[in-house]
Amino acid sequence: MGELQLRVALRGQRSVAVHQFHQGALRVLRPHYLDDSGQLGYVVVNPGGAYLDADLYVVDVEVEDGASLLLTTQSATKIYRTPGSFAEQRMSIRLGEGARLELAPDQLIAYREASYRQDTRISLHPSSSLVVSEIVTPGWSPDGTAFKYEELRLRTEIRVQDRAGGAGLLALDNVLIRPPSGDVTGLGFMEGRSHLGSLLVVDPRVDQALADELHSLAAPHDALAGVSLTATVGGTTGLVLRALSDNTEELNRLLGACTAHLRRHWYGQEPLNLRKY
Amino acid sequence: MPNTATSRRLALQQLTDSALPTGAFAHSFGFESYMERGLVHDEASFGSWLAAFLGQQLTYSDALAIRFLYEGHPVEELDELLTAQLLPRQIREASIKMGGRLLGIGAEVFPSPELDAYRAAVTTGRAAGHQPLAFAVVARSLEVPLGEALAAYLFAAVTSLTQNAVRAIPLGQNAGQRLLRNAHDGVAAAVERAGTLTPDDFGAISPGLEISQMRHEKQRARMFMS
Repeated sequence: MGELQLRVALRGQRSVAVHQFHQGALRVLRPHYLDDSGQLGYVVVNPGGAYLDADLYVVDVEVEDGASLLLTTQSATKIYRTPGSFAEQRMSIRLGEGARLELAPDQLIAYREASYRQDTRISLHPSSSLVVSEIVTPGWSPDGTAFKYEELRLRTEIRVQDRAGGAGLLALDNVLIRPPSGDVTGLGFMEGRSHLGSLLVVDPRVDQALADELHSLAAPHDALAGVSLTATVGGTTGLVLRALSDNTEELNRLLGACTAHLRRHWYGQEPLNLRKY
Repeated sequence: MPNTATSRRLALQQLTDSALPTGAFAHSFGFESYMERGLVHDEASFGSWLAAFLGQQLTYSDALAIRFLYEGHPVEELDELLTAQLLPRQIREASIKMGGRLLGIGAEVFPSPELDAYRAAVTTGRAAGHQPLAFAVVARSLEVPLGEALAAYLFAAVTSLTQNAVRAIPLGQNAGQRLLRNAHDGVAAAVERAGTLTPDDFGAISPGLEISQMRHEKQRARMFMS
């Protein structure tokens, strides 16, 4: 079990944490600034090292008006056996006006007999900027075969706040992989590839030209990738990139090239290079 | 119109006839991407794609939306969910385009207060007007039982996709008929599966199908709009 709450606000030129709470098997490392943009960086740590049977992790993140947060993890999220049950992460994110969140966790690995549910609910302002990248690996079992887990369910709901206090649904990204229910490796499913990567961008600057650019950036990689735009809700638009490949490194390079483009193009920032810290 | 079994059956037959002018002939829902990659090129390979599309997209999106509407979920809520869940743009637009045609046809031949309400929501921008929901609203107003409605809808979708494959790959007419016959079990399984899924399952489409649908936007030579 673990719980983490984080609220970030803009103070002067820099974003700082104004509320932080953790208990159980989740905490954050000392915050840092990777560059002089004022973007606050936090690394989430799970000292237990893995998600187990019936574990529940609750993460609550708020980025206030104008603030900027980069949230990463220290290492891969590993899901071990969860016989007759499942491990679960519930994440709730709220972005204020002009707020920015880059969420770049390490890959998720589901091992033999693991079931995992990830429920992410994001509420953002039409002027917010959100970039989420994620990699799901097949969790090789001791005999060298992949996809021995029971079920992976990753559901992300993104809503756009409106003036009336409501929130229109912008995107519902629902990934469900249940190997025991049939062949998940072949045509129409994983297409013979083992790893799934995805990138979700919501920003008022998202347009078809950006989708075309990211499509071109993905093309040279050894992956089957597709990019598309969501409908526009409340003046903002989402971009979804999905890619299938055979290893985490290739997907990291592909997603890294895309996020580097966004960082440079929109903020004049260098590519993320977390491993140097 | 008296809701006898015969008139219901005829109505359903008309609604799901492949000649119904919804524009289904213009959409491959992604299989044209597989054709370009050389992965769909004959009866067997198209059959594999069709089985995946039926078991995933048609079950977790279309069929589930129809079931939820029958169970009384507000049509505008389901409409918003579909727009948000159909991430590949061409698929979302196909659903809305064909939905619009179906709403128009429905108003002409099977008018009902429920259909008027959905059309009004679309006209005023409160809903997009998706094909499975347009179908479900009409079928429900005609008191077609859910199981029959689902089977008819799914088989109609499978039929138009197969007809498109017969033209595009191309396949022989008899191959098309064999594909349709072979899809019977898949349709029955999809109807059953759609009855057991939960709201959390809605829109869980396999990554491969979605990626191919997205890649279709970039395909140079194409016969289909999706």
